[in-house]
Amino acid sequence: MTPILEVKGFSLVLGGVGLLKDISFTVNDGQYLSIIGPNGAGKSTLVKALLRLHNGVKTTGSILINGRDLHSYPRKELARLIGYAPQAGGWIPPYTIRELVLLSRYPRPDKKRDLAASDKALTLTGLTALADRPLNSLSGGERQKAYIAAALAQETPILALDEPSAFLDPKHAFELDSLLKDLNLTHHLTVITVTHDLNHPALAGGLALVLKKGNLLFFGEANALFKGSILEEAFEHRFIHLAHPNDGRPVVLSQ
Amino acid sequence: MTNPAPNQANQASKQAPKQAPNQAPNQSSNQAPKKASKGLKLTGLIVLALIAVALCPFLGAELIPLKAIMTPGHPEAEVFWALRVPRTIAAFLAGSGLALGGMVFQALFRNPLATPYTLGVASGASLGASVYFWLGISFLGGIGPLGASLLGAGLSMALVFLATRSQGGLSTPVMLLAGVIVNFFFSSLVLFIQYLSSASDSLRIIGWLMGSLVGLETARLADLGFIVLTGGIVIRSLAPEIDLLVSGEEIAASRGVEVARTKLIIFIVASIMVGAIVSLTGPIGFVGLMVPQAARWVLGWSHRILTVAVFFLGGAYLAAADLLARVILAPAEIPIGVITALAGGPFFLFTLFSVRRKGQLL
Repeated sequence: MTPILEVKGFSLVLGGVGLLKDISFTVNDGQYLSIIGPNGAGKSTLVKALLRLHNGVKTTGSILINGRDLHSYPRKELARLIGYAPQAGGWIPPYTIRELVLLSRYPRPDKKRDLAASDKALTLTGLTALADRPLNSLSGGERQKAYIAAALAQETPILALDEPSAFLDPKHAFELDSLLKDLNLTHHLTVITVTHDLNHPALAGGLALVLKKGNLLFFGEANALFKGSILEEAFEHRFIHLAHPNDGRPVVLSQ
Repeated sequence: MTNPAPNQANQASKQAPKQAPNQAPNQSSNQAPKKASKGLKLTGLIVLALIAVALCPFLGAELIPLKAIMTPGHPEAEVFWALRVPRTIAAFLAGSGLALGGMVFQALFRNPLATPYTLGVASGASLGASVYFWLGISFLGGIGPLGASLLGAGLSMALVFLATRSQGGLSTPVMLLAGVIVNFFFSSLVLFIQYLSSASDSLRIIGWLMGSLVGLETARLADLGFIVLTGGIVIRSLAPEIDLLVSGEEIAASRGVEVARTKLIIFIVASIMVGAIVSLTGPIGFVGLMVPQAARWVLGWSHRILTVAVFFLGGAYLAAADLLARVILAPAEIPIGVITALAGGPFFLFTLFSVRRKGQLL
């Protein structure tokens, strides 16, 4: 079976600085990949590279989507394969949530489905009641969810999210985790998410990838991440390893 | 590294038929009334703009009655058809083009303070015209102020483009910086040329810099119409891409927009349109700043309808400003650029107070 995503010896240099170094991994259709690592490890850089969002960079190696080189895809075709939710910080577009979500239908030729697809994305993210609120009137968490809804409206087989729970309180972060897991398990979406929540990979299951200073430190089953001292090595920090009292999954606490 | 087997849950999920998350049946939506309301507002704006424009040729130092223009050979009919109508059309087209230029640059730079002149086209045209007035009509074989200012506008466009490309790609901040630098540099050269010029040449330069529709040849109306309509159609056809660029270039690219190509088309089309208008009328200020802003207050940021609204509103605004320029000191005329600048100051203050109330400039 051809993997939906295959990264082979991929390196990325920006302004003479190597941001990603010889990264290789594969993700099959319907898998869940959590990308973790300390600040500046190259997590967002990697996700953006999957979407060809970098300008003025030098790359070596290759990224294949469905066995085809990433650079051979016209932009619209790529946008029909990977839905993207960026971090919600910085510039706030002057749109309502619904307008932002509807804009994500741009690569889809079937305009008759636009309203239904955007309504469904709003329902899934619990934003229907806020749909006509301007983005600048929302909290950081609500805005983050708006970007996720927009990515969902792209109706792609792959979802790439950059720190989707960064601005969410524990309740909403849990709801988002559940949504992503549901999209992965029930709807068979391939989810690739950058997270700073070290307990997210164990909760989400699937695969985990650890980056440190642009190098791939670990790639494998999420549960294996918590064996040995991979996290300690990645973050240069000591963690307390526990089992969750409810389901026994690995949990780490900062020392 | 090789990919380990998917987790059990994922394997189990693969037994289920593949289904995208959004394949739900159509749900009710409140988009229809909102669209209708915006459509109604747009129609209202267009009707008001057209009424205003239609009234302009009748008004002036002397009121021309409807009956007079229907009478062939009537002296007032001559004034109406040969002078006022072409002048109103010129004002409308120039206003439309400048407002559209301002609209796309504000969207491209995501900055409501951007104007059609932000990338230095107007200062390039001004430099060309100033050099022409300074060196006299023999300059470059007598190409006239129009040819000279077109050359200047083209020079500024080329400089901004080359400076931006020298940094790789078509980075918006670099383009903005290059535009501001070219703007300041060419404006300084205009001042220098003015200093070197004789008193009479200096006055002609100042007159040109104020912007005016006086002396615009009727023969040029077709050129102006072609450039503004073509520019408007291209900009309108790029409305979905412009909407996404306003969301941010990363989002636009991730949704399938060829960002660099779209920006290049916008830059070239808007610059040619604005350069041509400025070469014909001089740099009439504030239209491109005020009109898109006012239209957004009523209609929001969807460039599908905003482009149409800005086209009509910009045209009507400048036609009305031209009317004021003709009547305030009649029979003398005030340069139209003075009128738009005088209206611009209070508008800016109003915008700033409004920002404070609404909490955001955009």
